[in-house]
Amino acid sequence: MVKKRFPKLSLLMLTAIIAGCMACRYMMTKDPAYMDLANSSAAPCRAFLFGTDAMGRDIFSMIWYGGRISLLIGFLATLISTAVAVFVGSVSGYAPPWADDMIMRMTDLILSIPSLLLTVFLQAVLGGTGVYSLAVVIGLTGWMGMAKVVRTEVLQLKNTDYVLAARCLGGGFFHILCRHLAPNFVASILFMVVMNVRNAIVAESTLSFMGIGLPVEVISWGSMLSLSENALLSRSWWTILIPGAFLVTTLFCLTNLGNYMRRSVNKRHSNL
Amino acid sequence: MDVLTVKDLSVSFYRESGEIEAVKHVSFSLRAGEILVIMGDTGCGKSVLCKSILKLLPDIAKIKTGQIFLQGKEITHYTEKEMQKLRGTVFSMVFQNPMTALNPCMSVGAQIAEAVRLRNPELSRRERQDRVINLLELVGIDHPGERAGQYPFQLSGGMAQRCVIAIALAADPAVLFADEPTTSLDVGVQSQVLELLLELRKKLGMAVIFITHNPEVAAQMADRAALMRDGELYRIGDAEEIFGKTIPNNCGRID
Amino acid sequence: MRRKSLGRPYLTIVEELIKFVLSIFLLSVLVFTLSRLAPGDPLYAYYGDRVEKMSMEEQETARERLGLQESIPVQYVRWIKGAVRGDFGISYQYKRDVKEVIAGRLGNTLLLGGLGFIIIFVLALFLGLFCARREDQRADRVVCGIGTLTSCIPDFWLSLLLILVFSVWLRWLPGSGAYSVGAEGSLADRGRHLILPLSVVVLGHLWYYAYLVRNRLLEETRADYVLLARMKGLSGKQVLYRHCLRNALPSYLSMMAIAFPHILGGTYVAETVFSYPGIGTLAYESARYQDYNLLMVVSLLTGSMVILGNLAAKLLNGRIDPRMRLKTGAFKEEAERW
Repeated sequence: MVKKRFPKLSLLMLTAIIAGCMACRYMMTKDPAYMDLANSSAAPCRAFLFGTDAMGRDIFSMIWYGGRISLLIGFLATLISTAVAVFVGSVSGYAPPWADDMIMRMTDLILSIPSLLLTVFLQAVLGGTGVYSLAVVIGLTGWMGMAKVVRTEVLQLKNTDYVLAARCLGGGFFHILCRHLAPNFVASILFMVVMNVRNAIVAESTLSFMGIGLPVEVISWGSMLSLSENALLSRSWWTILIPGAFLVTTLFCLTNLGNYMRRSVNKRHSNL
Repeated sequence: MDVLTVKDLSVSFYRESGEIEAVKHVSFSLRAGEILVIMGDTGCGKSVLCKSILKLLPDIAKIKTGQIFLQGKEITHYTEKEMQKLRGTVFSMVFQNPMTALNPCMSVGAQIAEAVRLRNPELSRRERQDRVINLLELVGIDHPGERAGQYPFQLSGGMAQRCVIAIALAADPAVLFADEPTTSLDVGVQSQVLELLLELRKKLGMAVIFITHNPEVAAQMADRAALMRDGELYRIGDAEEIFGKTIPNNCGRID
Repeated sequence: MRRKSLGRPYLTIVEELIKFVLSIFLLSVLVFTLSRLAPGDPLYAYYGDRVEKMSMEEQETARERLGLQESIPVQYVRWIKGAVRGDFGISYQYKRDVKEVIAGRLGNTLLLGGLGFIIIFVLALFLGLFCARREDQRADRVVCGIGTLTSCIPDFWLSLLLILVFSVWLRWLPGSGAYSVGAEGSLADRGRHLILPLSVVVLGHLWYYAYLVRNRLLEETRADYVLLARMKGLSGKQVLYRHCLRNALPSYLSMMAIAFPHILGGTYVAETVFSYPGIGTLAYESARYQDYNLLMVVSLLTGSMVILGNLAAKLLNGRIDPRMRLKTGAFKEEAERW
């Protein structure tokens, strides 16, 4: 495998972006929600560092302000999907084979519905276009892959002697899950957790871009890009390229970190 | 005459954590047609010694000092291309675990045929098939025609090891390296394979470097024996000389 | 070879068929219930803003006419009765038979997704082999870096980027639709419209699969049989192509069978951004405007594609991998003897 070099640069950039978003109050040069209609679609200049969008809002300020929402959704959704995945996966792995089979069939079934449709459904059922409801919706559509991994790990672990010993001593399901199983599969799902953050951010921006996520008034990286159709017509490239560049950089750094955490397939050296 | 001579060979692995000396200043020579047993505990460097002669070690391993002579010609600094010509013609090897050494997705016949084709490219398809059957008969497999079409997972461990030996023999080698060829086999099968190797050596007259950690096996096989410990070859001599007097204490336990 | 038991394969096929029908049935119940539970009024899909001008009674009759009044189970039973006869109802939005609406667009999606799939299939294998041969060398690292970067770009933004560069700035390629008005029959025109969406589909998925191939191959290079193959006198390259590839191929093929519906689903975003008339745009519109009948068929179509892909993967694996191939027949007998 590629030697595991710690992705210092990725971590540094990610920290910078997260810090900038957290401290957006100090980063912003303008009120991100203020629509300066006199200066709509202005190209980057000294007053508007990254230009303004079609509604006259300052993109530089929006990026930090909106990044907070995008990252928040990413982390919240991951929290939800990880919790669901660990629960479903370990119950399935621990349950008798017929129940396990049923749960996995259901998981595959849900997995077979295109995620976009699934999100739109859930979005409609749960109602609202708020930040939290969107995070819940994205979280509820992203647990299946991880649940499968957790199940496989639990299946392997449940017959090990120390788990049997814990059961013989009368340990309950949750006790065994928290004390004996979880510490063992944490390493193998850590990579998926990081990837889930990435996927959730992608989902948020895609949904908002298509107009079924956050509305334009709620500023996020996705909703900023939802105005890009106009931007293509007015050729204001900065409203597309700059928020997108931030989005892609964040995703790239997350991926690098995730890849670093992935247990390498095999530590042995190639025989070739 | 010496087929293979190793002088002052040292091999090191270079990891991020630093240098690990696996083989330290080893010298020995192998005479034509003899069985030289290299015996030592697991991890003492006997396998690395073998693979470094064959240049089968990963890139992080380097030969630090020493020279290797094959039939009087120095091959220490042979390139990968030159080594390829030696492997499968002059050198051959039998591995520890036949189940993983055979490609699980190819029938054993195809795997032997590949070795035959590399050694004798001039053979026609028919002749090659005949040669495969011959080789399978040579290593004592019944119904070779049927067995050739089977996949490794359909064979027992002993049967699979015979196939690996057949692949090694396809090369018609001058030197056969046997890296613990019986360790992963059942006890009954072990002695069969050992006898097969002795018999083949008599029939084909090749020299064998036989690696083992088991003193009984060593005593049964050896014409001469070399003892290794921590990468150093500290004793070498005729079998009677070594096994007749004492069995060294670090090899004395029975695994 | 030993005698094969004849009953087994047929039984499996029947078994799989039953499973397939059951899964589709479950999926239809799920989609039906979920879509009916969703707030939003399908009347809007049919009448648009005119609904607001209708009186309560007019709305009632309209609902009754469209059959939206009864309870969900009753509606479902009526739907499935029609579906069995091949009648999937009318699309509220297009006011045409759902089958017609879909038939007009399925070809476009299959063209985009199918071409994308083939390109990804070939390129992923090629890239995977390229990188595996040069493990951890500079070429491998560069390709891995670029690949990871492309896999990080969201499809919709990549689409925007390509439109901005190639159709707005350079004016080389059209940025929307599947053909120019008045040039429906021209192949060259269709091709030109296909380039950008196709690039998005390919770039969006390629590295995921290429990286899998690479890692799968590298896993194989650690196997013992590589040493044996090299002892025969094969070069590293030959070992990779003749031995490692052969072992990695079954899992790659079965993976790609599952990937087909996945890639087809991946065209949805590209279709939407490029206003490419395909199933993807339909799926999105129908979900958004509560066009139930259309939504059902689109979901079932996608769902059955996924299930068929899984089935194909299973069958492929059974045919290619000797271990699986013999599991049903001769090998089982051998195992029973022990």
